Amino acid sequence: MRRLLSLVVVAAIVLGGARPALAYLKFGVSVGGRQVTLKWAQTPVRYFVTNQGGGGVSATDLQDAVARAFATWQAVPTAAITYQFGGATSATPGRDDGLSTLGFQSRPELDRVLAATSFLIDASTGALIESDIFFNTAFPWSVAAAGDPNRYDLESVALHEIGHFSGLAHSALGETELREGGGRRVVSAEAVMFPIAFAMGSIAARTLKADDIAGISDVYPDGDFRQLGSISGQVTKDGQPLFGAHVVAFDAARGSMVGGFTLNAQGQFSIAGLSPGPHTVRVEPLDDADLDSFFDVTRTVDVDFRIAFFDRVVVVPRGGDSGQVTVAVVHK
Amino acid sequence: MTRLRNLAVMALVIAAPGRATVASAQPRSGDPGRFEVSIGSLWIGHEPLGSNDANETTSSGGTRALFTTSTDLAGAGGVEGRVSVRVWRAVEAEVEASYGKPQLKISIAGDVEGAAPLTVTETLRQITVGAGVVWNVPHRFWSGRLVPFATAGGGYLRQLHENDVLIDTGRYFQIGGGVKVPLLSSSRRFVKGVGARVDARAVVRSKGVAFDDARHASPAIGAAVFVGF
Repeated sequence: MRRLLSLVVVAAIVLGGARPALAYLKFGVSVGGRQVTLKWAQTPVRYFVTNQGGGGVSATDLQDAVARAFATWQAVPTAAITYQFGGATSATPGRDDGLSTLGFQSRPELDRVLAATSFLIDASTGALIESDIFFNTAFPWSVAAAGDPNRYDLESVALHEIGHFSGLAHSALGETELREGGGRRVVSAEAVMFPIAFAMGSIAARTLKADDIAGISDVYPDGDFRQLGSISGQVTKDGQPLFGAHVVAFDAARGSMVGGFTLNAQGQFSIAGLSPGPHTVRVEPLDDADLDSFFDVTRTVDVDFRIAFFDRVVVVPRGGDSGQVTVAVVHK
Repeated sequence: MTRLRNLAVMALVIAAPGRATVASAQPRSGDPGRFEVSIGSLWIGHEPLGSNDANETTSSGGTRALFTTSTDLAGAGGVEGRVSVRVWRAVEAEVEASYGKPQLKISIAGDVEGAAPLTVTETLRQITVGAGVVWNVPHRFWSGRLVPFATAGGGYLRQLHENDVLIDTGRYFQIGGGVKVPLLSSSRRFVKGVGARVDARAVVRSKGVAFDDARHASPAIGAAVFVGF
């Protein structure tokens, strides 16, 4: 008999919560004392869409927008995940009914949450069994091709949530600024999985970025993914490992960014899914974040250091790792 | 005894121009040899590889650069060797190979969060293997001791990143000209002549470490010693 573990609303896209510039991050679950990447064991993953509209969007438009978002993830050439529309349903997202359901829900109490994803996990293997997504009808929605300046773009938010649905956690490859009256505004982002949505009317998040593509490919690697490479290394300060640093690999030839961060006591990081070739490596502190919404922070994150670049070109080999890159940072 | 040896060296040095005088007339009537082997140094100028910004997407779909980068393959010296064979009067066909260690430089600037500008580098190993033709300008167009020539060729380019973690390949083409300076010659011996060769070229490289498929031109200067057989 399987032990089921329900994780409710572990991943949401929000309005203006303070978030740092992290990179792609995989969900992990502890199985038998070891950390396992959260993922679907079998594909295609069947999903159902509720037969009710909401927030100014019809049920048919909801199904179409969701289908486009699933197709965008499925089109990643280096990832093996596929999805299959199971049909319209009257089921409600968030119930442990064996159906992965996407639909509208009225959640006015969640006044900063546009949408959220919940999971049902096989605790013995770490495999996903069910994943539901709700879109909050407390907000106005749009499926207009060019966006609606007074509504949030449903396809963009669905794309973000389906990233969670597939096993990705929040990325934070983006920049925010404080808003009057509290919260933060996204200045720019280079990951669909960035946790704060663009403003109403924006359709900029309908396209996956290099960080998203690396993330989904890392979880579900396809043949071509093995031709890509990785950068691994360590961040230190005063000769000691530094926990919680944000590390971004920039592909100088293609202009793309993929990131990672140091999450263990040795200050080590590893960034996969990188195109072979010369990269620069940039390290920055996570100094404006609710870190516990990204990962389980059991120790203090050190943010007292200056942004630094690794002082050498880092060459990513084809199908291999760059070798140890050690970045020494200094106090602010 | 020591004095005698020094005299002998002096005699050789002084004699050389005299022999060269003979050599200068040699292309008109003497046998320059059918084969020529040369080895020398080569300097290839820098190759701009391109600029890319670390862009993030704004709400309107525009871009905002976190920082900017500009990448160059720096100029570098190396060694070059060639073997040529005279195929028709003043025309030689040659095979050539070169080896150099240029630096790949990425200049980083304009970090929006205040990181100091810097240039990061790695040292490549660059190998070329190719072929070409040389046209020695006949003396009916030219008089004097120097032998002008024009050259053109191309071949295979191989660039190995540090620790050979990645190999980039491409092509190169080159065109240029220079002069040969015959120093010694003898039509009766196995070694027909010895001389120096200097040339200037335009080297056009494509692919390899370049970020695009475009052709990137760089100046190059070569200097070599050749032996004719």
